[in-house]
Amino acid sequence: MAGVRLVSNLDLLVIGGGPAGLSSAIEAAKNGLSVLVVDEGVFSGGQLVKQTHKFFGNESFFASVRGFEIGTSLTEQLNSLDSAKIQNESSVVAIYPDGVLVHDMKNDQTSLLNPKKIIVASGASEKFIQFENNDLPGVYGAGAVQTLMNQFGILPGRSVLMIGSGNIGLIVSYQLLQAGVEVRAILEASNRIGGYQVHADKVKRVGIPILLQHTVLRAIGEESVRGAVIARLDEKWRPVAGSERELVVDTICIAVGLSPSVELAAQAGCQLKYIKELGGYIPLRDEDMRTSVRDVFVAGDAAGIEEATTAMIEGQIAGLAVVSDLTENCSQERLTYLKNTLRNFRSGPTSSKTRAGLAKLGNEFEEASFAKESPDDFTKYVGKMRPIIECFEAIPCNPCETSCPVGAITIGDNINNRPIIDYSKCTGCGICATKCPGLAIFMFRENEDGTCSVGIPYEFLPFPIEEQQVTALGRNGEAICNVKVERVVRSPNKTNLVYINVPCEFASDVRHIFVPSEESKSFVCRCEEVTVDQVRKAIGDGYTDFEELRRYLRISMGPCGGRTCRLNTLMILSEETGIPIERLSPGIFRPPAIPVSFRAVAESGDDCCEE
Amino acid sequence: MIAVKSRYRVVIIGGGVIGTATAFYLAKSGIRNVAVLEKNYLSSGSTGRCGGGIRQQWSERMNVRLAIRSVEHFKRFDSEVGFDIEYNQGGYLLLAYTDEEVLSFNKNTSMQKEEGLDVELLSREETSKKFPFINLTDVKAAAYCPSDCHANPHLTTFAYARAAQRMGVDILTHTSAKRILTEKGRVTGVLTDRGEIESEIVVNAAGGYSQEVGEMAGIDLPTESYKHQILVTEPLEHFMDPLVISFEKNFYIRQTKSGNFIMGQGDKAELPGHDVTPTWRFLREMTGKMPEFFPFLSDMRVLRHWAGLYNMSPDGLPIIDRSCEIEAFYCAIGFSGHGFMLAPAVGEAVAEWITYGEPRSVDISNLSMNRFEQGFSREKNVV
Repeated sequence: MAGVRLVSNLDLLVIGGGPAGLSSAIEAAKNGLSVLVVDEGVFSGGQLVKQTHKFFGNESFFASVRGFEIGTSLTEQLNSLDSAKIQNESSVVAIYPDGVLVHDMKNDQTSLLNPKKIIVASGASEKFIQFENNDLPGVYGAGAVQTLMNQFGILPGRSVLMIGSGNIGLIVSYQLLQAGVEVRAILEASNRIGGYQVHADKVKRVGIPILLQHTVLRAIGEESVRGAVIARLDEKWRPVAGSERELVVDTICIAVGLSPSVELAAQAGCQLKYIKELGGYIPLRDEDMRTSVRDVFVAGDAAGIEEATTAMIEGQIAGLAVVSDLTENCSQERLTYLKNTLRNFRSGPTSSKTRAGLAKLGNEFEEASFAKESPDDFTKYVGKMRPIIECFEAIPCNPCETSCPVGAITIGDNINNRPIIDYSKCTGCGICATKCPGLAIFMFRENEDGTCSVGIPYEFLPFPIEEQQVTALGRNGEAICNVKVERVVRSPNKTNLVYINVPCEFASDVRHIFVPSEESKSFVCRCEEVTVDQVRKAIGDGYTDFEELRRYLRISMGPCGGRTCRLNTLMILSEETGIPIERLSPGIFRPPAIPVSFRAVAESGDDCCEE
Repeated sequence: MIAVKSRYRVVIIGGGVIGTATAFYLAKSGIRNVAVLEKNYLSSGSTGRCGGGIRQQWSERMNVRLAIRSVEHFKRFDSEVGFDIEYNQGGYLLLAYTDEEVLSFNKNTSMQKEEGLDVELLSREETSKKFPFINLTDVKAAAYCPSDCHANPHLTTFAYARAAQRMGVDILTHTSAKRILTEKGRVTGVLTDRGEIESEIVVNAAGGYSQEVGEMAGIDLPTESYKHQILVTEPLEHFMDPLVISFEKNFYIRQTKSGNFIMGQGDKAELPGHDVTPTWRFLREMTGKMPEFFPFLSDMRVLRHWAGLYNMSPDGLPIIDRSCEIEAFYCAIGFSGHGFMLAPAVGEAVAEWITYGEPRSVDISNLSMNRFEQGFSREKNVV
């Protein structure tokens, strides 16, 4: 019988082939379980496949490796295990009491599985904001921009306005610039930058302004985006009258955060809880990543928005917990080690939000003390080539320590510690500067002729050559002076070092180089074209449940099934009614989670069928 | 949240289409001190999960009468209630696959014609000419009534609720009835999770939970609920006017105003209960059979599927009556999957009964609670 695949006695179904999913599958398959990973991507790795930047974290979890390379490495590891299989270009579309429906998108076929355990590692979807004309072509989510640009080599436009200064907004802005696209500004509605300081410093020194307490009011254009109207916000987040101005851009990129994709976990019967700090509704789960449904686990962004390293560790924990459920040979030592690693990782100040969120789940993670200051003996070594480490925020990251061939840099036990350098040991090789994911390490030497040599980590094209005249830029991208390139050091990881010769008085300011070379509507639900005004009016008319709004206005009745509009609608509802979002019902999550064709279901094979 | 008053003249239990229609007709006839109790949100039960068809072609005369009266209301819904409910008078097409079906269609259409219905029996060729998009293989004949129609059940419920609200009715969502209070064999009020409400009259319009609401008053009602499932596809430009049914092949399908196709089937193996979890088996069966009859479906995608409850009476006809055990306790229940389409006539009848002491527009005397003690004949035109 055509189209029937026999998948009997499956121990573990992993939904999603991102960092969490792949890590959990590796862990389970290494312990002999039969594992199937169902992944939407043509290539596995989830969001990793479009990440071209180096990752933070611990080198044993791929820190300083570029995202897409991590994806490849995990995929290869999994493929080398006999009992594991990845099914790409496929999607779990529904979890029923009588089986899990998998849709093979390439062949448009479905099959029904009955695994013993499920790990939901379905990741997250992008949040999205409302402003006039947000349905115009040229308005993108940051994920779409990364896919277009980094995976398929297509530029989204020529000139971009970025909304959101979290790590994603900062990283994508930097990547846009690397791809030769102008980034006019990054807008941030709150009064502080959301992402890591080193990421912010990276975009500032290439000249992208970050405008705090600003938002976009309107996209200008008829057929596609031609510009944007932005405005300043007051303390209560209201636009300040008269502060509006227009920017000429052809692309507006939205990076205002992620919300966990919990549709499938909800269908599986997992109890959800709204936890703002973790990005929205998340399945309740214990330290082993087990949800309220005994055989269903969750890991990665689907368990709460964090980042790839913690996703991998959570995946490993979930994988091991499944091993422990199904076999006798689970290593408790390894489980403890993983939990401690996770604890250590989350102990820094940048994880305070995550900790607060997890505490609401009953999972307490303490903040640990970390070394705050590095001894200032830089000036004792005048005339020696040596690094300046501008890493001022305690973030969980240690490649500088692990890459230093002479052991001159120390982070210590807590990965959130700031680096301490012993200049007496340093040889000035510059490896730390090429490894630092935050590009926060610069090389520096005072020369006898009154100039300084400054080594700049450089990831752009065109690449300068020795003796070339370039413009030296300051920390905010301002032009400081024209300088000559002394030498260039190419690094295999593509973070190259460009050494420039700078007059002494400017040397401590130079951190980068420039190498020359109609009816307006703001939509909540874009599938069904429901506007913010319609939603507000309906709430005023007495439709005060998400499900009533859905039924009245058709919100979430389109192909996306509510992925973007459910939370937006709830936020408006919360705002209008004054009821905190935690107390509102998120409504019903109906299968299938993504549309599936009649043909695909009709020709489906069940896992109990034989060929 | 709307404040609960300490007393109402009438309390209606159930914020579906029956409850809100009853509230609307009560308010229209001047009884405005009325509350509708809904434990969840409006249309959260069976109404909001139904297919939205409005059919007059029934095998039982009583159903035909109620349906004809309802269609009269649906036709002028816009002006009567003041709301666009996506009403489409596109007709119903009933496909007959067996000789027995042709025979019973013949019998039914003559009864329906006696009641004044514009129904006709089409040959396969006539059907094919009118509706070329259906694969009519093995079809022997079809009954077609152009004045049958369909509409959006959510909007209909909201329409009745908002109109009633404008006239002074309190629509109390997220308010559960816990017990029906009686004294000396007469209703005195309702205990809710938001406190006690005094009331002269209580109406049970609780759909899938009608039996349980009966129990709250200490009455054993002869209804039970069964899960029925339904699915909706992505939209296509509108081309299919009629709702198409086959009893033999066990399906119904219609195209909504927004272009989506809604379809469902019955499941004889289903046991009574309140489970509304959609199942894989349903999806598999529907996607397997529907493209045979409607070949254009095979490349279309299913957007969502869900389930709701048919509140079944023993004969498949509604129970609209006043309890003889407890005075002033009314029931409009047991709609057996057809409550939405009968709602205007039922709401009107219950309101008339309360207002004038008797239903006036339609004679519903044979929809009583105790009719099952004698023999009865069962509605056969069901999916």
